[in-house]
Amino acid sequence: MDPVITDTSKLFFKVNPSLKLICFAFLFILYLSVQNLNTMIWTTVAFSIVTLWANGLPRKWSVGFFLMTFIVSFFSASAMILYGKGSHVLFQWFLIRTTEESLARGIQLGLRTFVFGLLGVLFASTTPPVPFFYSLMQQLKVPVRYAYGCLAAFRMLPMMAEELGHIRQAMKVRGMSRQKGLRAFYERFLHYALGILVQSIRRAQRTAVAMEAKRFSMKEKRTFYYQIGWSRKDLIFLSVMTVTVVSGFLLSRWIPLTPYTNVIDGY
Amino acid sequence: MCLKSNEPVWGVTDLRLAFPQKKDMFFKDLSFNYQKGEKILFLGPSGCGKSTLLQVLSGLIPKSVPLPVHTEKLSIPKSWGFIFQDPDTQFCMPYVDEEIAFVLENRRIDPKKMPGLIHDYLKLTGLDFSDPHRLIRTLSGGMKQRLAIASVLALEPEVLFLDEPTALLDPDGTEQLWETVRRISKGRTLLIVEHKISRILDLVARIVLFDPDGRILADGPKDQVLEQYRDELDAYGIWHPDAWPAYERRRPVPIRRQKHEEPILDLKNFSVYHGRTKCFTVPELHLYRGEWVAVIGKNGAGKSTMVEGIRSLVRHEGIMHWYLDHKEEDVSFVFQNPEYQFVTDKVEDELGFSLKLNKLPVSEIEKLVTRSLEQFALTQQRTTHPYQLSVGQKRRLSVAASLIDRPQAVILDEPTFGQDARNTFALLDLFQSLVDGGTTVIMVTHEMEIVRRFATRVLTVADGRLIGDSRVPASGRGEETENGSRYHRHQ
Repeated sequence: MDPVITDTSKLFFKVNPSLKLICFAFLFILYLSVQNLNTMIWTTVAFSIVTLWANGLPRKWSVGFFLMTFIVSFFSASAMILYGKGSHVLFQWFLIRTTEESLARGIQLGLRTFVFGLLGVLFASTTPPVPFFYSLMQQLKVPVRYAYGCLAAFRMLPMMAEELGHIRQAMKVRGMSRQKGLRAFYERFLHYALGILVQSIRRAQRTAVAMEAKRFSMKEKRTFYYQIGWSRKDLIFLSVMTVTVVSGFLLSRWIPLTPYTNVIDGY
Repeated sequence: MCLKSNEPVWGVTDLRLAFPQKKDMFFKDLSFNYQKGEKILFLGPSGCGKSTLLQVLSGLIPKSVPLPVHTEKLSIPKSWGFIFQDPDTQFCMPYVDEEIAFVLENRRIDPKKMPGLIHDYLKLTGLDFSDPHRLIRTLSGGMKQRLAIASVLALEPEVLFLDEPTALLDPDGTEQLWETVRRISKGRTLLIVEHKISRILDLVARIVLFDPDGRILADGPKDQVLEQYRDELDAYGIWHPDAWPAYERRRPVPIRRQKHEEPILDLKNFSVYHGRTKCFTVPELHLYRGEWVAVIGKNGAGKSTMVEGIRSLVRHEGIMHWYLDHKEEDVSFVFQNPEYQFVTDKVEDELGFSLKLNKLPVSEIEKLVTRSLEQFALTQQRTTHPYQLSVGQKRRLSVAASLIDRPQAVILDEPTFGQDARNTFALLDLFQSLVDGGTTVIMVTHEMEIVRRFATRVLTVADGRLIGDSRVPASGRGEETENGSRYHRHQ
């Protein structure tokens, strides 16, 4: 995420990015296998607290991301809630048929999406691209060409955004926006896509040549400006994550809020 | 040229090179040699292969740009640096220090030594940042190019190749760039491709002149070449020191300046916004039909914002009144990058696009398009895709397309930017004929020669405000300021 808007003094910024990546990837897999609605509810509560505390965004932004994540989760839940199978019908209207079981499953799905969203926000808002890729090269031995390729691509994002603005203005001047209808919309879309694509390919080609002109080699050894290593912060991070995850499981056992301990079976 | 025998000689003998989808070989057994310490300038019309030769001499072709190349003998200097034209695509890292560190990493320098070296290289190029950890995209074009030099210096190069490094820079940036090159050129070999040569003639000793087919027309001491091939320099559109006077001598009709009384645009308490920030404000401004208005000012002063505002491309507030029936169609706008405004796949469709929108009969469109193709020397390219045109042709097409439905006012954002002398003069002739026909031309420009010779009205913008509004009197040449009641001067 753009370091301009983030607060880099937060703890998670100082955690080794590779560790963070692996840890979060593990959590993704872990929560895919959780079928207990109570666990998901308590996990959501726990991660909401952690995200609010640890994310690197200004308050206004973090609230915005929270809302967005919530809306996305709501949509992912709604299909399951409205059309799921089950025997205890709560509500029926034409094709829509909500049952207790489908409600539980839907909420479970929605919460999972929400937790995934939170993890994403947490990772993206506390991991600047440069240290991230340096860490990938140093700790996970990712080939340098991919790492520097991605970094070069990152530089192009703001340029593409600017370009989109220019094309929009140009369309307006040329009277493209005066055309109505589906066909005009399609043509407009095609035009945006072509314009951005052509410029990006050209830029990528030029950047690649410039990098090679600076003796970038994909095979030879290199030194690293930033040494990404390990610190006590990594231990703190792991402890925080462990406490969060374990508290989700324990609280669901101590204070089960719903009777649905396995949403697939219905109970 | 005679070469001293004790220095290493680099260069290429009998070069042939093929471009994809072209039948003939480019360069027919071209040979070129140079030696340590030489400062050489490559001149020639656009598309003559100067830049390509530079890339061959550095080994970038065929190593990084795979093209079929055949040479009898090729010797490439051991250490060299290459500065490219586009300031935005030379970097792969987001921060200044990281970019130079990238080069040092490639050279396997110990990371502990890097901060000191980064500081030294930045200092050499006059980029004295107290903290070099600074976002590259916040730098101006001129600073970016100097950073490109700093990062190339980190290669400790014997030879520097510069491929039109100032083509996309404003006059200030250009000046600073050459100042930097001058400072670091001591003891280094320079090979420069450039169109705007006035500022670097004192830097180079030898000039190589190419003809349009990629043959070397002349190769010798600069004074001799400049003296003997003056006509070729004009014909190839090179910005030599005498380009403007020569143009003025060629112009058949002297510039006329008319009185302008019929208003075309009124602005009152007018502000333009980018997002939520107010980027330009003017309390009052009146423009008249047939005026050639030049909008000048430093980079980032708000010139482009101002013209985008009066064409309603960005959010604005206050009173803006065009004395026109159809504002959308009667005010056209030409963008700095012509590619953005191309909306079709063929040059002819591009020209006919707005006519078709206005539902003109097909025969009429056909007639207007053909005439416009002839007027802008694009007949040969009638069915070409606009993206495949040359830089000059693209610019001509973008101007032609915005003029075809005869707008009452034309707004141009740096229309001569990056154009060679020949293209620039052709465009200026055209704008002059528009003004003569009563069209209002509003033009953002950095080129003071244009302002001095053509503009009838000069608006100076600084810090988002109009700080000067001067009118060139009907009969006179230079600039004079009027403080009359109708031409407000804003402080």
